[in-house]
Amino acid sequence: MLIKQAKIWKFISSLKLAIWLLGIIALVSLIGTLIPQNEEEVSVYQSWWFILLIILFALNLSACLLSRLSLKNRPLGTLICHFSVLVILLGALIGMLFGQKGYLKLSRQEKANSFMASESKEVNLGFSIRLDDFIYNENIDPKEKLLIYSIQNDAVCQMDGASHKNGEEGLIAKIPTDPGTEREISATGYKIKVLRYLPDFVMDIATKKVTSRSSQANNPAIEVELRDKNGARESFWVFARYPDIHQSKTPNFNFVYHWEMRRPKDFISRVTIIKDGLEVLKKEIRVNFPLQFGGYSFFQSSYDPENLNWTGLTVVRDPGVSLVYLGFGLFILGLCIRFYINPFFKTLKK
Amino acid sequence: MNSTYLNIAFVMYFLATVFYCVGLFFRNKFLPLLGRVFILSGVLSLTLYAAMRWQVAGRPPLSNMFESLVIFAWAIGLVLLFIDLRYKIKSVSGLTALLGLLSLGYASFLDKELTPLLPALKSNWLTIHVLTCFIGYAGLTVGFIASAVILFKQKEIAKLDTIAHKVIAFGFLFLTLGIITGAVWANSAWGTYWSWDPKETWSLVTWFIYAIYLHIRFTKGWKEQKAAWLAVIGFLAMLFTYFGVNYLLSGLHSYG
Repeated sequence: MLIKQAKIWKFISSLKLAIWLLGIIALVSLIGTLIPQNEEEVSVYQSWWFILLIILFALNLSACLLSRLSLKNRPLGTLICHFSVLVILLGALIGMLFGQKGYLKLSRQEKANSFMASESKEVNLGFSIRLDDFIYNENIDPKEKLLIYSIQNDAVCQMDGASHKNGEEGLIAKIPTDPGTEREISATGYKIKVLRYLPDFVMDIATKKVTSRSSQANNPAIEVELRDKNGARESFWVFARYPDIHQSKTPNFNFVYHWEMRRPKDFISRVTIIKDGLEVLKKEIRVNFPLQFGGYSFFQSSYDPENLNWTGLTVVRDPGVSLVYLGFGLFILGLCIRFYINPFFKTLKK
Repeated sequence: MNSTYLNIAFVMYFLATVFYCVGLFFRNKFLPLLGRVFILSGVLSLTLYAAMRWQVAGRPPLSNMFESLVIFAWAIGLVLLFIDLRYKIKSVSGLTALLGLLSLGYASFLDKELTPLLPALKSNWLTIHVLTCFIGYAGLTVGFIASAVILFKQKEIAKLDTIAHKVIAFGFLFLTLGIITGAVWANSAWGTYWSWDPKETWSLVTWFIYAIYLHIRFTKGWKEQKAAWLAVIGFLAMLFTYFGVNYLLSGLHSYG
């Protein structure tokens, strides 16, 4: 019986088993990336048998460590490395057992004091979070410009307007399209300012109200304000896709909106934390800059390009993270000792 | 943006490859020495190019496939300099310079346009994560080359085996740092340090293969040829982590 137990212990604590387990876990993980995964299905990595493999690996690793727990023939670095893997796995286990993760969808001015950690499990935060504003910014490509052509008062030129637009002939200014800055149209006495940009211009025929149908660039347009020498203003829209239908009443200029693909720059959720009826914290949540409060972290995770009135926040509480990070640090320390610090001292001794 | 320094680096890597390889056939001290001078100039040119790109773009030049290939070639050159100074094996140096050259050659076909960073990449972790990953990749690449030479050569095998082991241990340390910094970054951007995304999973698979490599040398005493085959498999997994995941699988890590 004892012989049998000793044999089992020898097997469990063997490096041979460790290498096989590493190989099998690697192979299974690899296959997991190749099979397409549905959101509804449980992935390979969450299946019971994969977790069983990892538990086996942890047991094997513990046994390896226990059976070789002497600094004489095991260098310190190696011990730290293997121990730290156990620390990381323990941190992950604590996260799995005691952590909470969910999703919170907030419209402007909406408050929430709980979130759904799964379909049926509601978690109470112990405070409220209110979305004050959601801001979506885009990068304007430096090549994007409003081109302004002067129109001479002869009929030939007017008729020939289309060819003007393609060439440099008659081009008197290239105006950047960032809104809010008034710029002079080179020595004409006129000033121009971009008021706003809409990626998908649409006008309600009945009310003449202008909106953006979506944030997809289906019909990019800018509203500009033109001011003449006397200070008289007029504002009108210029379309990237329809260069001939701007409504300027000034006969001197022709406008061409040279639009370039815009890329997302920022998603910002401005939120307020309310505890016991008091506003205790106001903060911006951005990608890479989560908000931490009361043991929970809020991450900017989604938004709707068609409707910028709400934001999607991921809410996480993971008590295992600090252990995982400790394991990370120990692992690197162990590797450095094993591969660099130890050999360095060995060469010194020689 | 001006690519003069990139072109100079390309020529330098090319000349280094030529001089190292010609040095294989002639007993001439100066040929490999010139190779070393050229690779040093190549690394310096790439450093200047990356610094200029950083300044013009106002962000680290580490955000797409083109920029990553340039950094890969830079890291390969850096590891090559150390290996060349220390071990002076012309075949390893020549083949490493060739791989750096291939990386730059591939980069020359890609879009060099400067684009602003996506919100997900705007983080201080970008620089440290990408640099550690690519220094790791470069170490593992040199480890692959030393191992491949073992498989084709009869002479100097013990020395080549030492190079392969040391440089793979170095690459493994930096691959680990790359995975860890990636995990910490993911946790601060999305709230999870590990989500089994294809890039993450493949980097872990690569890491496992090299972990096996390092262990099996002790337990089974796998050295030289046998270990070399494992280093080749590890390198293939690394290549898939770098390129295959981006071109063949979809996931969170779609920038390079």
